[in-house]
Amino acid sequence: MNITSELLRGHTETIILRQLLDKDSYGYEINKAIQEKTNNQYELKEATLYSAFRRLETAGLILSYWGDEQTGARRRYYAITTEGRNLYSQNRKDWEDAKTLIETLI
Amino acid sequence: MITKIRAYINRAFEDVPKTKKSTDMQEELISNLIEKFNDQLRSGKSEDEAYTAVIAGIGDLSELTESLKERHVLSAPSAQDRKTSALFISAAVMIYIMSPMALIFSSEVLNQEVMGLMIMFGMIAIATGLLVFHFNSKPKYLKEDDTMIEDFKEWKSSRDKDKALYDALSSAFWLIVLAIYFYVSFTYHWWSFSWIIFIIASAISNIAKAFLNLSRHDHEK
Repeated sequence: MNITSELLRGHTETIILRQLLDKDSYGYEINKAIQEKTNNQYELKEATLYSAFRRLETAGLILSYWGDEQTGARRRYYAITTEGRNLYSQNRKDWEDAKTLIETLI
Repeated sequence: MITKIRAYINRAFEDVPKTKKSTDMQEELISNLIEKFNDQLRSGKSEDEAYTAVIAGIGDLSELTESLKERHVLSAPSAQDRKTSALFISAAVMIYIMSPMALIFSSEVLNQEVMGLMIMFGMIAIATGLLVFHFNSKPKYLKEDDTMIEDFKEWKSSRDKDKALYDALSSAFWLIVLAIYFYVSFTYHWWSFSWIIFIIASAISNIAKAFLNLSRHDHEK
């Protein structure tokens, strides 16, 4: 598990971008989706998640806006930008390359 | 338990300067953590278990808080905010300046004094409305906690806003008074006693001020 999380950590931002490809979302929803996809095997720490949001937003890869919930607390939603989509495709391609390379090596 | 989660995050952000970015981040974190906490309860966990799970899932917030400390020590108004602000004020001032022109034009060219006067007051009303709307739609300083410093900052922020609004209204008022003075004096040649309008205007302005202060006192109580 430790090796896996080390490996995954390098892809945190790509994982978040992937979640935002389909629809705008907010922190907890993104983390829940990640958990469900991995059958509760993987979950981002809030500290990691929100630091990543900040980096991505500063880099112009995502945008954020406050939702207009009528009840309960406000949610901050994130939306992926065109630059974000481009970076996602690039990272995805890099990953495919790395995967084939590693598979031939180990 | 929710207050405990809130307190946990507030403690983590203790040393972070209170900027819009940092308070937004705090609010975002708290609201997401509360949703997670409620989900944990729904899945059958006890309050204590849910709290422990939520706190354990947060991880080390120091990277986040450090990154909020670095920049934006003072959150200046954004370029966009400044632009809208300038637009509002210059539009209002322009309407103020143009309002006597409407009066002069319609009374001299069309011989319609009453209509001219109405147009002038209409324009002044629009300009004043613009200013009032503008100053009231500006974001207030958000109170962060119940310390005296925060109370003072909020008080000062609302005072500054009130003062700007008051200044704008008062200068508009005196411009109108001056316009009426010249208009009445030129049209009816009442120069000998039309100056009394300034005394009346000053009285009106003081009464208005007194009323404003009274209503604010009521508000604070």
